[in-house]
Parts: sequence; C-alpha cells; structure tokens
Amino acid sequence: MRVSAALPIGVAALLFESARRRREAEGRLVALFEGAGYSEVILPILDYLEPYEALLTAASRGELYRFIDRDGEQLALRADFTPMLARLLAPRLGALSLPLRVFYRGDVIRYEEERAGRQREFYQVGAELLGVADESAESEVLRLFLEALTREGGSGLQVVLGFAGALDHLLLDCGTDDPRALAAAVARRERGPVRRDCPRLLAVVESGLPGRPEDLGPAATDLERLLALRDELAAAFPQVDLTIDLAEFARHGRDPRLTAGSGERSYYDGVVFRAFAGASALPVGGGGRYDSLFHRLGAETPAVGFSLSVERLLERREAK
Amino acid sequence: MIRLALPKGRNLEVALAAFRAAGLLSGLELSGRSLLVQLPEEEIEVLSLKDWDIPVYVEHGVADFGIVGSDLLAEIDGDLLVPVRLREGRSRLSLIGRARELPAPGSQVRLATKYPNTARRMLEGRPWGAEIVELSGSIELAPLLSLAEVALDIVQTGRTLVENDLVEIETVAEVAACLVVNRASYQRHRALLNEWISRLEAAEVVA
Repeated sequence: MRVSAALPIGVAALLFESARRRREAEGRLVALFEGAGYSEVILPILDYLEPYEALLTAASRGELYRFIDRDGEQLALRADFTPMLARLLAPRLGALSLPLRVFYRGDVIRYEEERAGRQREFYQVGAELLGVADESAESEVLRLFLEALTREGGSGLQVVLGFAGALDHLLLDCGTDDPRALAAAVARRERGPVRRDCPRLLAVVESGLPGRPEDLGPAATDLERLLALRDELAAAFPQVDLTIDLAEFARHGRDPRLTAGSGERSYYDGVVFRAFAGASALPVGGGGRYDSLFHRLGAETPAVGFSLSVERLLERREAK
Repeated sequence: MIRLALPKGRNLEVALAAFRAAGLLSGLELSGRSLLVQLPEEEIEVLSLKDWDIPVYVEHGVADFGIVGSDLLAEIDGDLLVPVRLREGRSRLSLIGRARELPAPGSQVRLATKYPNTARRMLEGRPWGAEIVELSGSIELAPLLSLAEVALDIVQTGRTLVENDLVEIETVAEVAACLVVNRASYQRHRALLNEWISRLEAAEVVA
C-alpha cells in the first residue's frame, strides 16, 4: 500500500536541515532569556475551555480548536500562551514571590482561513514579566524583545509602538453613532470615513500621532511616556526602525463602548507593540501590558510580555 | 524602490486614469505581455497581476501597494490597509435572477457566485436559505439556464442583464476600486505613500 505524505492544511513537518535551523534559533533565544534571568515554564497543549470562556472574543473563539473529551468535558487546543499562563499562575500568585520572570516555547494552534503564509500551527517563544507596575517593566521587556529580534532577524526590522485606549477619547468625543466602525476605519487608515466622522483623527491616520497631544484627552500623558520610552529604546537599538503609530492599534480600545465584541486579542490594556521583519504584513511578534487579565482571573498583578514566531523570523533570515 | 500592483481587469483603465490625473505614473506604458515595468524616475516598479492575486502579493509585501476592487477585499478578508477608494469605475454587487422577486421566506434555492464568503455573510440575515454554487465566470448563465435560481455578481451598467432577460433584484454592496497598502510598507514608505494619497485626493479622483 502506498501512503500519501500529505498533511492537513496549515501544518508542516520540518525535516533535517529546517529542523536543525529552528532548533538552533530556539536554542539561542532560550540562552538569551535565561541569561536575562527568565525561567522556563512548559505548558500543556490541551486545556479545559471553561477558564477561557470569559476572555474569548468572537474572533478568538472562531480560532479555537474545541472538542468534547470522552468524559464529556469541553477542551481546547492551546491557541495563545499568555492567557494559559495567566490562568495557571493566578491561583498560585499568593505563594510566589514577585517580580516573576518566565519564558515559554511551543506550538500554538489556531484556525485560519486557508491562505498563503497563514499556518494553523506555529511555533512561538515568548517571555512575561509579572509584578512590575511602573514603566521599567515595558522597558525591560521591550529591550529583551528587541535583543531577540536583532539577533535573529538581522536588518530591516520595524517595531511599531502604541497603547491601548490611546484613541478612545477622540473616537467617543466626535459624535459618531458607531465609534467601533470608526476605530476599524482608522486601523485600515481609511481617510474618507475618518474625514467625514472625525477630522481630528486624520493626523493619526496619516502620521500615527495626533495633531496636538491634548487631542487624546486623558491619554495625552500616556503618549508622553511612550515617546520617552521610544527615545530610550531607539538610542539602545539604532538598527531598528522604532515608530509610534496609534492608528495601528486603533481597535485596542479600553472603554467598554469600544471593546464589546471587538475582533482583536483584547487583553492588552497598556503599551502594545508589534514587529515586522522584511516585507510581509504578517508580524513576526508582538506583545504589551495586560494588567487587567489577572484581575479577570481573580488575582491581582501587573504583567507585560511578548511572543515571537520563530518560523517567520527564520523565513526572514533565509530570504535575505 | 517601491512596488505597485495593478490589476489586469476592468479596474486597470480606471486606476491609470486616476493616477495620471494626479500627475503620477505618467511615463508608464503597460503593453502586451510585460509583467513588470520599471519607472526609474518615480522610483517605482509596476507589476501587472490578475485582480484576485493582488491581495496576496500586497499582504506578502511582494508589492507594497496596489489597486483592488472592494468586492475582492470583502471576499478575501486580508489584512490590508485601505486608505482611499477611487471615484470612477463604481459598480454594484447584486442579487440577480430571472424575476424581480427575492426567494420566498422559508424557501431553499441555489445561488451561483464567485464570492462564496460574501454570499454566506449575506445569507445570515435572510428569511430564505441557499446552497452556494461557486463558479469562476459567466455567472449570469447560471440563473439563465437554471443552474441556480439567483446569482450574486457584479453589475456595472446592467446591459448584460437586459440582453439576457435578467433583472437586478437587490444591491448587496457598492463596489469601488481601492488603493490597498501593505501594513509593513506603510511604516517604511509612509512619506511617499502619503504623498501619493494626497495627490490623488487633490486631483479629486478618490472619495
């Protein structure tokens, strides 16, 4: 009998040389994280669905591979490390000494429409810093993120910074009856609807920044802090193109009027960032602050983290 | 050097007219079978692609930006920036059939289309159901020859419909040619892309 070597859509086998390359890259990243004082956690690929119910958005629910176990329990394959880590650590936080620095590596599995470049299984490494409320946490985590990217991704790196809720004031203040649609238009940089509904947002669409910082209302001070963080990181990583673009994260609102049913992974509630390597519009990694995630799981700790797609980074290296 | 993907289809003339009105791509001659044309003066390279391939090329950054119909953007659901829509060359994505009525509430029909995802979304709020028959061209023939009761397809002037005794039952979406931009390219070439967009706006060829 002849057996086909075909695999299901969205998964791939790495054989020989490609396996060796990924293990090497992974080894270098692990050494970097351990050198920075981060300890490894190994998480299961399978978990109950129930702890995540309250965290899921319509979009992230659609990405989950869910099924009923033989004993009737609803289970899901791991689609994202951060909430899994948070839900496992939340009940243990009282017994742990903070700050806590952890890293992980492994596969996440998400349903994606069948399209070039979109895998359903992909390999991530990531790191999280728990227990630091001030901006030294963003600084430390972003430095580690940039160090990992510059070591593995080489030149042509772009890191875009923003923060959740940056545009809430502008979106809610301009009197449109559908601020979520307006946020989506800003994220797509659609000038027509923005000019019609909120001309003050045009500057954000074009340049990534408001015409005047005070246009952001109460978020203006957050922008000031982000500018300082950007300057600090740009001095340390001159080879990386670091920009602030609040439109890129327009759908990361904080006000409940904007977040209900929003499509994006919604646990970030502070600084957010994503990195592009080379030409692809698919980011190689990203992260941010998610203090409220633990709160929703019944614990209290500030947290900042990031994840990287090792395959997308390697693709970039090989394309050079 | 920045790369622009232009469609081979009906949106090509519309796109070229808009760019030229804005004083852009004046030296461009897309002739015959050339797939890749360089315009060194404007520091731009122009790719000639099939409409349906443009979103993939732009999302992967093989092209930095392109022109593509909003009908395809809605169907393919790519992660692209869409700064402006061209004013000319508008059309409609419509339900068409042999009679002017929508299928009766509770009925189950067959619907022929090139846009199965858009069709499924459209059906969500309908009191009637449909089995989607995905075709790649000459969609009008499907209701005409009873492969399907209705079709979801582009209507431009409506002349094809009239000639074939078909009618436009309902407009599902307005369709425009859109300027689309790769997310990473927008960060890298922001000044140049914003200048192009501003010139298109100043020439009043976009809305």
